[in-house]
Amino acid sequence: MLALLPRLRRFATGLARDAARADDLCQMTVERALRSRQQWQPGSRMDSWMYRIMRNLWIDEARAETRRGQTFVDEDAGLAVGADGGQEARAVLSDIDRAMARLPDEQREAVLLVMVEGWSYKEAAEIVGCPVGTLNSRLVRGRDALLAMLDDGQ
Amino acid sequence: MSVSPETLAAYADDQLQGAERADVERAILADPDLARQVERHRALKDRLAAHYAPVMAAPLPDALLTALAQSPAPVADLAAARARRKRWLGWGAGLALAASLTLAVVLPRGGGDGALPGYADGALASALDTQLSGQAPAGAPVRVVISFADASGALCRGYAGGQGSGIACHDTRGWKVTREVGGAPSGADAGDAAYRQAGSADAALMTLAQDMAQGPALDAQAEQVARAKGWQQR
Repeated sequence: MLALLPRLRRFATGLARDAARADDLCQMTVERALRSRQQWQPGSRMDSWMYRIMRNLWIDEARAETRRGQTFVDEDAGLAVGADGGQEARAVLSDIDRAMARLPDEQREAVLLVMVEGWSYKEAAEIVGCPVGTLNSRLVRGRDALLAMLDDGQ
Repeated sequence: MSVSPETLAAYADDQLQGAERADVERAILADPDLARQVERHRALKDRLAAHYAPVMAAPLPDALLTALAQSPAPVADLAAARARRKRWLGWGAGLALAASLTLAVVLPRGGGDGALPGYADGALASALDTQLSGQAPAGAPVRVVISFADASGALCRGYAGGQGSGIACHDTRGWKVTREVGGAPSGADAGDAAYRQAGSADAALMTLAQDMAQGPALDAQAEQVARAKGWQQR
């Protein structure tokens, strides 16, 4: 499990967008995996199992935060204003972070799993729990949105 | 031929094989715009990969390593215990998992006639004293399925049987039943029902044991040593 942590942390960083929350997500994932390790089938891949745990925890967490205080909506709205107005104050986040933050969750996770984490479409679809065709189409939409945002910024 | 954006992305991500791949390659050769789209896809992929790469190289935070180190028991040991149990019962993991999710923990009912309240007696006490985990003789009224030390260092054993299942921990007065899971199977069709009961009780036991255990489950050799020493606290 230790050997998987750097990869999981990279995935968490892509999902959670700030380092502190990414590490919280990583820690929750490790704890959950240890607690429910009987559910892991020996002989099956541990890495995709842990990616799935992390992904599901993140979805739960994101929903809870949205219910609590609309954090993401505020954040995205703020970012959008910054991008439109070209405000230097918001340059703490890189172009890529900003663009990723504006993707819908389902597109962001598809882009991360395939283009950053290097999963095949089939494996990524299994982690997310959707058909391969759906994953493929989310990836294309996410990619196109990213390209549009990043090209505009150049 | 026309190539959908999805198919073109799949090509750019090396997800296509055989004829499908060859078709897309031909289409790309014939259409510079398709080639440019593949190029853009791969350039974005490289850019994203480079963006997130520093996380991979960064040292792991202590909190994360601590979380990993606080594993209550090594995976291998509980997994082995579970495999042994499954072989013995011939019962699938699906039921075991379902059972562990719906387990109900009930407090001890108290002792039987003449015994200390809350302590094992009779066949249960005898099985806890003598049996090695997973090696119950055929027809034994109680099977001991796992042994472990709890946070206080006391040795505890998970057991399953017709009179109920649970976990008992050894102290100066004997085997104190600290957890009970389920109860005796009811009705006349004891055969399949008893197995069903045993299967779900075992899964629940393993979950409880895992929560209570401090360190690995005892293997057969460690159990023999513990038995020879009268299950004294470690």
